[in-house]
Amino acid sequence: MNHLVIAPILLPLVAGIVLLLLRRTPLPFQRGLSLIALLAQVGVALHLLQSVLEGPLRVYALGNWQAPFGIVLVADPLAAWMVLITALLALFALLYALRGGDQAGRHFHVLFQLQLFGLQGAFLTGDLFNLFVFFEILLLASYGLLLHGSGPRRSRAGLHFVVLNLAGSSLFLFAVGTLYGTFGTLNMADLAVHISRASADQQSLARLAGLLLFGVFALKAAVVPLHLWLPAAYAAATAPVAALFVIMTKVGAYGILRLDVLLYGDGALSDLLDAWLLPLALLTLGLGTLGVMASTELRRQIAWLVVISVGTLLTAFALGGVNGIAAGLYYLPHTTFAGAAFFLLADSLARRRGEHDDHFVPHARLADRRLLGGLFFIVAILVAGLPPLSGFIGKFLILRAALDTPDATAWVLAIVLGGSLLTIVALARSGSLILYRSHPAEHGTATGQLWPELLPATGLILLCLGLMIAAGPIDGITRLIAEQLMQPEIYIQAVLGGTGR
Amino acid sequence: MEALLSLLIGVMTACGVYMLLRGRTFPVVLGLTLLSYAVNVFLFAMGRLTIGRPPVIDEAVSQYADPLPQALVLTAIVISFGMTAFVIVLALKARAELGNDHVDGERE
Amino acid sequence: MSLLGLVLTIFVGSVLAAGIARLGRLHSAWLSGVVVIVALFQLWPMIAPVADGAIIIQRLGWMPAIGLDLVFRLDGLGLLFALLILGIGLLIILYARYYLSERDCMGRFYAYLLLFMGAMLGIVLSENIIQLLIFWELTSLSSFLLISYWQERSDARSGARMALAVTGAGGLAMLGGFVLLGEIVGSYELSVILQSGHIIRDHPQHLTVLILILLGAFTKSAQFPFHFWLPNAMSAPTPVSAYLHSATMVKAGVFLLARFFPALSQTPEWSWLVGGAGLATLLVGAIFALFKHDLKGLLAYSTISHLGLITLLFGIGTPLAAVAGVFHIINHAIFKASLFMAAGIIDHETGSRDMRQLNGMWKYMPHTALLAMVAAGAMAGVPLLNGFLSKEMFFAEAVSASTHLQLGWWLPALVTLSGVFAFAYSFRFIHDVFFNGEPLELPKTPHEPPRWMKVPVEMLVALCLLVGILPTLTVEPLLRIAAQGVLQTPLPHFDLAIWHGFSPALWMSIIALVGGGLIYSVRHPLFRFHDRVLLPYLQASKVFDFVLGTLFALARTVTGLIDIGSLQRMLAWFVAAALVLGIAGFVSGGAPLRGTADSLPLDGVSLVAALVLIAAAIGTVVLHRRRLISLTVMGAVGLIVALIFIKFSAPDLALTQLSVEIVTIVLLLLALYYLPQQQAPESAWLRRGRDLVLAVTAGGGAGLLSWAVLTRPLDSISDYFLANSVSGGGGTNVVNVILVDFRGFDTLGEITVLALAALGIYAMLERVELTGPDVDRYGRPWNPDVHPAIMASLTRVLLPLALLVSLFILLRGHNLPGGGFIAGLVTAVALITQYLANGSRWTRSRLPANMHPVIALGLLLATLTGLGSWLFGYPFLTSTFTHVHWPVVGDFELASAMLFDLGVYLTVVGATLLILIFIGLLHSNDDSASRPQEEAH
Repeated sequence: MNHLVIAPILLPLVAGIVLLLLRRTPLPFQRGLSLIALLAQVGVALHLLQSVLEGPLRVYALGNWQAPFGIVLVADPLAAWMVLITALLALFALLYALRGGDQAGRHFHVLFQLQLFGLQGAFLTGDLFNLFVFFEILLLASYGLLLHGSGPRRSRAGLHFVVLNLAGSSLFLFAVGTLYGTFGTLNMADLAVHISRASADQQSLARLAGLLLFGVFALKAAVVPLHLWLPAAYAAATAPVAALFVIMTKVGAYGILRLDVLLYGDGALSDLLDAWLLPLALLTLGLGTLGVMASTELRRQIAWLVVISVGTLLTAFALGGVNGIAAGLYYLPHTTFAGAAFFLLADSLARRRGEHDDHFVPHARLADRRLLGGLFFIVAILVAGLPPLSGFIGKFLILRAALDTPDATAWVLAIVLGGSLLTIVALARSGSLILYRSHPAEHGTATGQLWPELLPATGLILLCLGLMIAAGPIDGITRLIAEQLMQPEIYIQAVLGGTGR
Repeated sequence: MEALLSLLIGVMTACGVYMLLRGRTFPVVLGLTLLSYAVNVFLFAMGRLTIGRPPVIDEAVSQYADPLPQALVLTAIVISFGMTAFVIVLALKARAELGNDHVDGERE
Repeated sequence: MSLLGLVLTIFVGSVLAAGIARLGRLHSAWLSGVVVIVALFQLWPMIAPVADGAIIIQRLGWMPAIGLDLVFRLDGLGLLFALLILGIGLLIILYARYYLSERDCMGRFYAYLLLFMGAMLGIVLSENIIQLLIFWELTSLSSFLLISYWQERSDARSGARMALAVTGAGGLAMLGGFVLLGEIVGSYELSVILQSGHIIRDHPQHLTVLILILLGAFTKSAQFPFHFWLPNAMSAPTPVSAYLHSATMVKAGVFLLARFFPALSQTPEWSWLVGGAGLATLLVGAIFALFKHDLKGLLAYSTISHLGLITLLFGIGTPLAAVAGVFHIINHAIFKASLFMAAGIIDHETGSRDMRQLNGMWKYMPHTALLAMVAAGAMAGVPLLNGFLSKEMFFAEAVSASTHLQLGWWLPALVTLSGVFAFAYSFRFIHDVFFNGEPLELPKTPHEPPRWMKVPVEMLVALCLLVGILPTLTVEPLLRIAAQGVLQTPLPHFDLAIWHGFSPALWMSIIALVGGGLIYSVRHPLFRFHDRVLLPYLQASKVFDFVLGTLFALARTVTGLIDIGSLQRMLAWFVAAALVLGIAGFVSGGAPLRGTADSLPLDGVSLVAALVLIAAAIGTVVLHRRRLISLTVMGAVGLIVALIFIKFSAPDLALTQLSVEIVTIVLLLLALYYLPQQQAPESAWLRRGRDLVLAVTAGGGAGLLSWAVLTRPLDSISDYFLANSVSGGGGTNVVNVILVDFRGFDTLGEITVLALAALGIYAMLERVELTGPDVDRYGRPWNPDVHPAIMASLTRVLLPLALLVSLFILLRGHNLPGGGFIAGLVTAVALITQYLANGSRWTRSRLPANMHPVIALGLLLATLTGLGSWLFGYPFLTSTFTHVHWPVVGDFELASAMLFDLGVYLTVVGATLLILIFIGLLHSNDDSASRPQEEAH
């Protein structure tokens, strides 16, 4: 019995419990434990991805109850891809937190590990209700992390985030209930089979449930008009938490993708999202760009950049086909790492500007402005998707994919490219405001202690460089993932072993 | 009976949503609780309504109520309990830090 | 030798230059020089084959799946530009070493310069157009760094931002064009594209592609109306201006025209767009150059004008015109670089660039003056200098074009006009600066610059003369190779003689010379006219700033309207979205609302209960401003929900609902102590109306949805659970078996949620001091700790009983209604009553306030039970059970799932108590000090 599939879920769970038990032990010990757990997780995630890319996808029947009756974990290439991205992101976020951010409040490491438990579970589970449970876990953990440390801004943003997501959970249950009440099952593969064969009488309820699920995932992914919670929440979170949160919108995008290509991948209902996804994605991209231009603080601007990245990602998914999905899956890790790096960098900047924090107002000239400015420049190029870095490749792939749907090509080209331009203009502006429009008086910390602080951000940037240099192989991987997704029967076969009941 | 239950679900949802849209934290919490009632009953009803046949295996009985939704609802109840507790305390924290109990912490 | 190596050499050099600067101020300068020389040596062996007409193509796999490889190409055109970039770059490096002052960081400058040089080489050596575009945008970015080199100067920053915005925008448009082009041609590689002219021209999207690509070329080479960024980029250090804004970056635009000449030209669209832009730019640049008092400003506008000239030549589209264009690219690079350097020297030695101050420099720096005058002569197109030759060809092409296109006289006329102004501003450059009386209040007393600062200028000026006098011996071979590379076809006949007889071109030159003199002589009234009439209106950069400003303002307005940080609005949007999606979904399905299944009969009791629930629910809403009452009424709703569960045969749910209900109400009561007991109506009628509509619609939706489902038959997987509960799960209470066995993973997740809630609350309340009111709303004082004696003693007696009950519920849970949750909640309630009855101080003295270990152990137990099954080679959470006979209890079943349930129990107890105790503790002020401090670190 090979337990590789469940390892990425159990590692953080056990780590979290142990950290809770040992909460009185010295801090370095706890930090070490947390870090080791994450390193192990990265290793496991790599191994898992490799094994599902080479071999067939892996199904893990919990409690040894076969699908569709028991809960199964399914590691298909997509899930493994997401797991790896999450683990890598979390590693660098944690590294940054170890520099003191984990002391802003209690239980940081427990909450952090359990948040990972929720994230990895959400990616790996093959059961719709279980997905709901993992959503709740990752949400509650994220509430705890978001409210880490205190302050009115944080409390207000937290309250909004929590209440809105609770409403979202209710909607999730309505959707799950409807699906169960219509098809009498909860296993995603089994549902996919039933939905593809839905009778004329069932189709109305099936469509309704599908669109409600879309609404739930759209809320998590911050799709316009359900994006309003994001800027305040991400801007209020502490740097490592904000960095980790960058993946949470991607969970929503992941859900939408599964909904589109697995649950409603076949049969009469496969057109479920056609009318909705692309327009909303482009709208999100557009409004996100406006938000970036309108921002007066760096963190909020980065939060809006996250909205843009969601819009871009969903544009790719909406274009669909192997090209579109593969483009999105290439863009996903890039935008995740770049956004997180930006949050970490912004924190380093803000903490050196004293009372001016991250507001776009002149401040005494920073001693470290050259180094910080250099990194700012690189990250700006990354997120704006300018050549030659990975962001450009991602956007180029999306533009190519847009050619496959002629009636959308013009829109996608115009909005994606226009977004890039306005983003770089806005970032050039904020960069020069925050770094260079300054009183001549030199001050700030010596460069000596700056480097270790910037290492996590640099590491994330290096990951993006890796994405660029290895673009060929990685494009190969994402294509493979996309091709698998375009044939849901592979997934269904693996889970149900037959054609279902 | 189905129609009546649907009506109850509808009423609870309506009241929950209306309270959810109030401007103060306490009504919002009540709204969330009402909404969770509605959701739980809805989810439970998705296994269809059965009277007097609890899903406890007994040689004498052949027909049982659908156990799965009951299990799901039990999970849902506990989860929403945890969530409610959290949001209540968050409301207290917000009031302490924002100085009032408006959801947007507006100055009074 | 490898072309990739050539480009990499420069990039590596850039990194080294940045690093080596630590060792010494001048190291990076020397290193850069060496790097460029090395690059030239790498290029050397490839010159001969290319001269023989070969096209060197080298490929390196990158993303073959999408036809995006690193492919380098060296043909005549690429060779010419590579030589220009490296050759002039070398001179610039030498010049800059003397130009930069002690305060300027050399390492950064040379790093940026080499970065730019590498990108530039990348453009001219690219075979793959996407790769070309990557280098293209890289030049925009690196030029941004170079222009804003003096980062503390705001004009430098704004100039750089403008250049980035304009050229970057062009680049992105070009990307769009290239993507479409690649789709049309089926390849991103030039060797294919240059052969596919006819396919492109016949394609419906031809015009779109053409415009998008031209946008890139025009913005880069500062063609009207995108010319304005170039003068603003003059805030860069002069070596940068000399390099980027004369010899290289702006030439990238015309390079692109030359590169795509075979594929895109030969259409009327091309002629009108390219020719038109070129002509407009030619005139605008020439005319405005005269009015600039700043030396570099004059040179900048003259550069614009000359780029327009080249663009116009490519627009004319005849092979001969293309040859002339290439020729002028060479000449302009040579004389304009030298002019900028001369201007830099003057600026450097006098501290001013204003031609109204700078006069009579001849006396102070005759050598420099001589050089500058020769170069200016070339710029004006004086015979025996290189500028003259290409200008003659240009005039000739203009004439022949207008004759065989029947354009009439206006094209030659306008071209001559531009020549007139070219002479005028060149005169001004020479006369105002070097003669025209004495200098006026200069910051420094002028003198000749250091010897080596002049060497680059001397070399370039020497070239001007050589090319101008002996064209056939010097430039012609290179020109032929390059033109070959542009046209990709046999060259037309041309000869570079200085004397072609009294051709129309010659007459045009003469008119330009004379007219230029006249214009210059009447310059002062013209200046006044310009300052009063033209200047206020004709400033493209103002337009740019306005557009950008409007965009940002628009963004602020829109965002401000949407994102006002109001939770109520967010929720309203969410509810509305859910409704739209749900309704759209159901309607699009087209099935009837009511299904076919028959429903249960209605009975009176249920009806009454239902009415009570409705009344209670609505009551909660109506009374919500009187919070205590509203809360109590809501409790009734919860109770009836429990009744519903009982009615429809779900005893476990009923028990859970009841116990959760109690705990929740207690929690809300505790909370209410810190919140206002009541509130005034605040929402406006309109808002309330909106909410009412949303709420009613949502309720109707939910009701109809459940009705639609309930009236349809269901075939579910549950029979399996009923069938396997006893045999496979070892329990008769199927719900419990599902919870701890079939779907135990859900349960594990859910107790994690509970634990997280407790920990989150605990973490959240750190450093939060809640203060409750001292008096209730009737003004009666709150008594912190008074508890009725009877209740106190009663609860103390009841506690063991309650605990026993909960244990019983826990154990029987597997077979009869009960289980970990309910047991846990009952225990919690029992203990809570101790708090309520005896007060927190009394209770905590007997009960540990720290529940963390309990939670942790509960979770651990549940997880370990799951992991246990690994030992037997089964998946996580696989359960096993057996029957043992205990003497007293009798036959008793032992299931591993019960251990799991025990974990659930512990977690529930721990989490619930942690939450309640913690909030309870907050209020008794005397306890605020004795709150659990164990998270001290």
